Amino acid sequence: MSNRTTTAASERVAPLGAIGGSSLRVPLTLVAVAIVFVVGAVAPTRFAGDFALRLGNEGLLLGMLALSVAFLMNQAGLVALGAASIYGGSGLLFAIAMNDWNLTPMVALCVAFLIIVVYATVLGALIVRTNPLAFMMLTLAAGEMISHAVMLEALRDYTGGADGLVVSFKGTVFGMEAADFASPARFWVVMWVAAWLSGLALWAVGRSRLGAILRAVRENEERMRFSGFDTYLPRLIAYVLVNIVAAVAGLLHVLNAGFVSPESLGISVSTNSLVAALMGGIAGSVGPLLGGVIFSFAQDEFGARGLTQLLTGIAIVVFIVVFPRGVVGGLSSMAWLRKLGGRREAS
Amino acid sequence: MLKIENLSVSYGSVRALSDVDLEVLGDGILHGVIGPNGAGKSTLLDAVCGRRRPVAGTVHYRNEDITRRSVAWRRRQGMARSFQRTSVFQDLTVHEQLYLVAQHLGDNRLDDVIEVMDLAGYLHQKAGRIAYGVQRRVDVALALIGRPHLLLLDEPGAGLSAAETLHLFEHLRDLVRERKIAAVVVEHDVDAVFACCGKVTVLDLGRHLATGTPQEIRADHRVVAAYLGTAA
Ligand SMILES: Nc1ncnc2c1ncn2[C@@H]1O[C@H](COP(=O)(O)OP(=O)(O)O)[C@@H](O)[C@H]1O
Ligand SMILES: [Mg+2]
Repeated sequence: MSNRTTTAASERVAPLGAIGGSSLRVPLTLVAVAIVFVVGAVAPTRFAGDFALRLGNEGLLLGMLALSVAFLMNQAGLVALGAASIYGGSGLLFAIAMNDWNLTPMVALCVAFLIIVVYATVLGALIVRTNPLAFMMLTLAAGEMISHAVMLEALRDYTGGADGLVVSFKGTVFGMEAADFASPARFWVVMWVAAWLSGLALWAVGRSRLGAILRAVRENEERMRFSGFDTYLPRLIAYVLVNIVAAVAGLLHVLNAGFVSPESLGISVSTNSLVAALMGGIAGSVGPLLGGVIFSFAQDEFGARGLTQLLTGIAIVVFIVVFPRGVVGGLSSMAWLRKLGGRREAS
Repeated sequence: MLKIENLSVSYGSVRALSDVDLEVLGDGILHGVIGPNGAGKSTLLDAVCGRRRPVAGTVHYRNEDITRRSVAWRRRQGMARSFQRTSVFQDLTVHEQLYLVAQHLGDNRLDDVIEVMDLAGYLHQKAGRIAYGVQRRVDVALALIGRPHLLLLDEPGAGLSAAETLHLFEHLRDLVRERKIAAVVVEHDVDAVFACCGKVTVLDLGRHLATGTPQEIRADHRVVAAYLGTAA
């Protein structure tokens, strides 16, 4: 406390926002991102076969779930194991809304989405207050409850029970017909755009004030309250937000598959999305999406050998040991090291 | 500014505070709270800032009964506290955390806080990476943001040397005087308290023993018997 530096205080506060010197780098990055976006949307539809495209589509769907799990983990320190009930539930509601309530596809889609958002909000309101472990168990319990309720004999007329429901719609949804959604190539473009939009949306939220508040609450909730913050609402908003991403994935899934199976509500969907998030790395949007795609292709490869469970287990262990921060986290720290090394050589 | 009446707080069957009355004026002087370990000093601050619900009694702040208000509400109304066990955001840089809170509380004079707590040299380091003594200052700085009307500081000198503690207290005394705010400072370093506080309250075994000027407290035979002993 003795040597008080009175001059530098104001100067040192300012530079956080002003990133000098990199004015050229930002447009270049943008151009590179735009190129990746366009090439990624178009190239696979030209050069990849239907089978690979289907795996890619499944991978991106899983990636969107992984994205929602990862965001909540990374920003709020909460592990959710209930992605499946949102994913399968939204698809199921969509089917019920069309089959039983005779709604047009577009209206059915909106109704299913709204019901799921209300469900997520009510559930979130009850559980985001609890500690991380209780939160995880409660999402698990709620998910299991829903997935068993769907199988109840009394609800069979609605839910189709173990048989699931066929979803066939006439007319168009967002200007696309059922056949368009079923086409692997067309659906790839839809998935590609949806994955990017959700990735960008969550990335932007992470960088916003809400993201900063969530991370501070994760770290020291009490101090946040003692700094005048409401710590409940931000977490509830985050919970609803990630479930919106999961619900969109669920709806896209049924539009593509034309079918809702009870498995889409099962616990393995939730655990797969968690694994995909850990494989890709939870610290951004690219990691979870990439994790989903890797997971999807790996599952296929493992399945071809008839050793899905065993090889998945081994892969998880290898991933977590070799890439504790996921593929993207691992690669980016390597790139950073190389840059550092290069700079040291240069100087 | 702050009026505590008949305040009692329990932890299960342990009565940590019984029937405490205390008034703190917003007159720009430091109000020290001293007493032996386990006397209930931290508990008193907890009850005032809303961390603990009292089992009986009321807390009035700026002429309003706030006994049932939330911690965050009290903070937004200008009641701020620091912690006996440092409570900062280890993973955020010093600037990030101060800025986050300043933005939330609408304080655009963060530089003042940084200057008063002498943190300019640490702004871009993560709080978890800086020395403990500096973390203590970040803790107090977090409480100073938003120009609080009432500061509650729990052993701000814990972990600092006697000289550092005295220095910190002199800082706080000047700050409180300049801003004409109220401050309650719990401290076990009796010398710093007597040197810088205009008023001193002594707690013992959860009871209010005495309140007065440092001279009065030093001369109070009950205080000497219970706490100060022959040292004073
Ligand atoms: N969280 C707690 N649970 C149970 N007893 C507590 C707790 N905190 C404090 N106490 C008890 O309350 C009494 C007062 O504690 P405290 O207010 O921390 O005293 P001080 O700050 O004066 O040292 C002590 O007897 C202590 O053991
Ligand atoms: Mg204490």
